[in-house]
Amino acid sequence: MAERKLLLEHSHLPEYQTLDGYKSKDGYKALGKALKMDRQAVVDEVKASGLRGRGGAGFPTWIKWNGLPKEKKSPHYVVCNADEGEPGTFKDKQLMEQTPFLLVEGMTLAGYATQSEQGYIYIRGEFIDAARALRKAIDQAYSAGLLGKNIMGSGFDFDLDIHLGAGSYECGEESALMSSLMGERGMPRLKFPHAPLPTIAGLWDRPTLINNVETYCCTPFIINNGGEWYASLGASTKNSRGTKIFSVSGHVNKPGNYEIEFGTSLKKLLEMAGGVKGGKLKACVPGGSSVPIITADDVDRAILGYEEMSEVKSMVGSGGCMFLNEHTCIVTFIWRTAMFYANESCGKCTPCREGTRWMLQILDRIRVGNGQPGDVELLKEICSQIDGRSFCGLGDAAAWPVAAALRVFPEEFEYYIANGKSMVTTEPMLAMAP
Amino acid sequence: MSELLQLHPRYERPRIPTAEELILRFSDKAITELEELKTHYPDLKSCILPGLWIAQREYGGFLDGGAIAEVAHRLHRSYAEVEGVATFYSMYNTAHKPGKHKIELCTCLSCHVCGAYRIRDYVKQKLGVGHGETTADGLFTIEEVECLDACDRAPVIQVGDTYHGPVDEAYVDRLLDELRNQSESTVVKMADEIVKVHLRGKS
Ligand SMILES: Cc1cc2nc3c(=O)[nH]c(=O)nc-3n(C[C@H](O)[C@H](O)[C@H](O)COP(=O)(O)O)c2cc1C
Ligand code: SF4
Ligand code: FES
Repeated sequence: MAERKLLLEHSHLPEYQTLDGYKSKDGYKALGKALKMDRQAVVDEVKASGLRGRGGAGFPTWIKWNGLPKEKKSPHYVVCNADEGEPGTFKDKQLMEQTPFLLVEGMTLAGYATQSEQGYIYIRGEFIDAARALRKAIDQAYSAGLLGKNIMGSGFDFDLDIHLGAGSYECGEESALMSSLMGERGMPRLKFPHAPLPTIAGLWDRPTLINNVETYCCTPFIINNGGEWYASLGASTKNSRGTKIFSVSGHVNKPGNYEIEFGTSLKKLLEMAGGVKGGKLKACVPGGSSVPIITADDVDRAILGYEEMSEVKSMVGSGGCMFLNEHTCIVTFIWRTAMFYANESCGKCTPCREGTRWMLQILDRIRVGNGQPGDVELLKEICSQIDGRSFCGLGDAAAWPVAAALRVFPEEFEYYIANGKSMVTTEPMLAMAP
Repeated sequence: MSELLQLHPRYERPRIPTAEELILRFSDKAITELEELKTHYPDLKSCILPGLWIAQREYGGFLDGGAIAEVAHRLHRSYAEVEGVATFYSMYNTAHKPGKHKIELCTCLSCHVCGAYRIRDYVKQKLGVGHGETTADGLFTIEEVECLDACDRAPVIQVGDTYHGPVDEAYVDRLLDELRNQSESTVVKMADEIVKVHLRGKS
């Protein structure tokens, strides 16, 4: 299986960013069709498609769409998580910049299916190009009666606004995102089962649907071609349907976004990205910085699918695939990963706030040559104290990469601690400068 | 301990303004913008983030205590609440006035393995300042940042609303020269661009 372009098929065409260009490629056909369908029938198509959230967790999308009250008692909201911040991931950015109408149409569809009257796109503050592209698309959609009152004469009203963040990875976590959208510090909120699901009480305690950019962008294709057709893509996998965009970076010859059908091998993805650069392949972080690192041998046998990736003890995650060559010092790489999480911890809960910083301090002393016997055990202990004990997923995400690296590359840590320098390179600050 | 582990002045609190400093400075344009933003949300509080973006532009790229107080006043919130929000997010410049241009150097994972620390050291040495510091002429502030999500272009630098990458030493030389000759502050321009994308029908 090779590249299978659905979302990215027309992304290279500048006119696809205009309403006319988008319409000439079947744009807004799905919305026209959906507005004549029963709301539940739209949700059922999404169910038949087997679509799962592309933001990282892979939660079945239809369950959320189905979860908002059918009997509407208060305003409903649709939110797009466009706060892409996971190191290694840059697919949402490309989608917003090059296929903004897919997102606008997808969110309007979701608005119709969930009886919402207002949508918000929460965009990461740095993504100004993406926000500008979406601004243009939204304004054109308003002028053409595709947003606002009585869309396409159907009687359905839907407004869509843009809200920019201001620099915080934690705001990608959905409840923290909602805090931020409500004008607060970007800290997560109490979750189910201790509090109602966002589909019941989300933004301003009203029923709220929140999905990732890529998730919404898939839905026009599902409505157009039918859920069953979508589910035929990726049929070789256990439970991963459709296409997925992987952002490939690191030591490869052709870094970029590649859209593949689930069931494609990781090796094939590496081939598409032009193969490894600067030496032999050593390791891969297949789904964004939060997922466990795997070895070159695992890359050879890994199949891209939500269940399939667990066979190599890793995950699809957000699809940020970083390949590392033989000159990469894993200890330094993990030190930098730990620094990311320590910097981005929101500080609300103790295991993550203290644990991420503590891990970083230990990794830092190893990195500068002051590692002590027992540091590996201590790191493992801290990982287990953070994982599953934190208030939100950031804590877990901080522990997994460290725990995995200690499991997969123990000899590098042992060597670094015993010798005060890296096994791989003489310049600890530079894993590799190709 | 590495310098990266020390608490940075960036995390200092803004200085609480004195009574004389409490002057409303928003321009008419800014007031109109804020009025439109208020119609986007059922709750005024949601305007704090975009309101701070407006303030960051109106106050020359820097949210001092006065700027925070003005946002609080215009949105009927307390100073402490707005200060709490402003200091949480890394893109708001609180506590210290940044230079005319902020050079944001990504040293996160993909950039790191593609030589970002070499570039960082080069920029540091060339400008003679470190993370979070501003050159004496007030032109440049350097900041090391986390993944900018353009890892296919690693190593990446962001200045204002523009991404640069992959960058090497020669690129950095050219970029700094260009910025030296630029009259407009990219920090202020970025805040302005961010305000603009919030507004309906202005594109
Ligand atoms: C620390 C943290 C950061 C996250 N960052 C993002 C993000 O940048 N973008 C995103 O879509 N989801 C992110 N998520 C996942 C969201 O919480 C949520 O699962 C997702 O937006 C749901 O959309 P989906 O079902 O379409 O995937 C993050 C989760 C955590 C715990
Ligand atoms: S795990 Fe705790 S401290 Fe870490 S980001 Fe989540 S709530 Fe904040
Ligand atoms: S690591 Fe630098 S842009 Fe992603």
